[in-house]
Amino acid sequence: MIFRAVEDTDLIARVKRGDVQAFNLLVSRWEKRIYNYLFRLTANSEDALDLSQDVFLKAYQNIRKLDDPERFPAWLFRIAHNEAQSLFRKKRPEVDLNEDLGLHMEPSHTFSLDLSLAVTAALDRLSPDQKEAVVLKVYQGFKFEEMSEILSCPVSTVKSRVYTALDLLKTELSSPKQARKGSS
Amino acid sequence: MSTGANGCEYSEVLREYALGELSRSAGEEIESHLATCEACSDEWSTLQFTLAALRSDGDHEIPQRIAFVSDKVLAPSGFRRFFDAVWNSGPKLAFLSASILAGAIVFSSMHRAPIMLQPALVQTASVSRADLETAVRQAVVKVREEDAKNTKLLLAAVEKKYGEKQRALLLSVDENFQVMQKRLSSYTMLASSDASRSGGQ
Repeated sequence: MIFRAVEDTDLIARVKRGDVQAFNLLVSRWEKRIYNYLFRLTANSEDALDLSQDVFLKAYQNIRKLDDPERFPAWLFRIAHNEAQSLFRKKRPEVDLNEDLGLHMEPSHTFSLDLSLAVTAALDRLSPDQKEAVVLKVYQGFKFEEMSEILSCPVSTVKSRVYTALDLLKTELSSPKQARKGSS
Repeated sequence: MSTGANGCEYSEVLREYALGELSRSAGEEIESHLATCEACSDEWSTLQFTLAALRSDGDHEIPQRIAFVSDKVLAPSGFRRFFDAVWNSGPKLAFLSASILAGAIVFSSMHRAPIMLQPALVQTASVSRADLETAVRQAVVKVREEDAKNTKLLLAAVEKKYGEKQRALLLSVDENFQVMQKRLSSYTMLASSDASRSGGQ
């Protein structure tokens, strides 16, 4: 992990000097994470893909403004967060975040379809802010400090969103009602 | 620590530990507490289950790779890349500056205008070899004549001085002779006077 962080730093330095191939390599390392983050927010594969492309385009155009290469992950996800928010503002009158819009039905290959659907449903019951906080914390592994930078809000706010969301998810995923749904 | 949701002061710290926010040493303290606190132990189990359930829905493969093939619209121009590479590198910039300076010096030396010499103050006449030899001979003759003249004058001067010395010497001798003559005549007169006196007695 440390070795890869060093390599990313080297790639970023090369990209700043105009090395497009270095940026391509950087994209190949981060595209899956960015895509999954955006997919979990938008619940739409096409939107997630379009947003991912926009995210990396903006990253390439603004990478010279990145002073500290160590902050690249948080910086990149901040761009992704802003792009998602822009999409939500554009689609607000039309989008029902709880509506199933081309939801990707393929579950993880190691767990049952029921559990995967239950998790998706439980996440969808969260508020957008809570859902995003859980995605960044649980799926992307960011620290609270990094999440504060990505979401442009205080650490205390980030903690509050995560803990509240976990309490709700705990109830949703461990309730007897959910257990009955899974067995049917 | 404040009391958490489960009534234990470790409740919030427990959640931070479950979410990977704590250091290993703090985690060891939590582990020790879990062995003794049933409320925290139950909450820990629930948290682990929730997180495991969430993570069971793993990442999905991206349906289409995002590739930034060298797009000329996006990629900086060759000049821009060169400029950025040089401008942002101190050693490269120093080397480039030194190269430019060296090139300017070489170019200047190769295209330097010839230096115009000042015209000679002495005008040289063009003479033939024969004239030159004649002039040399004449000069030699002239020098010899002057030498002879000087020599004659010197000899004359020496002779004159010698002559004067000689005359002075002769005069001196003459005077001495005269003195001797006078003395001799005096001695002679004295001698004859004495003889006459002694004979007359």
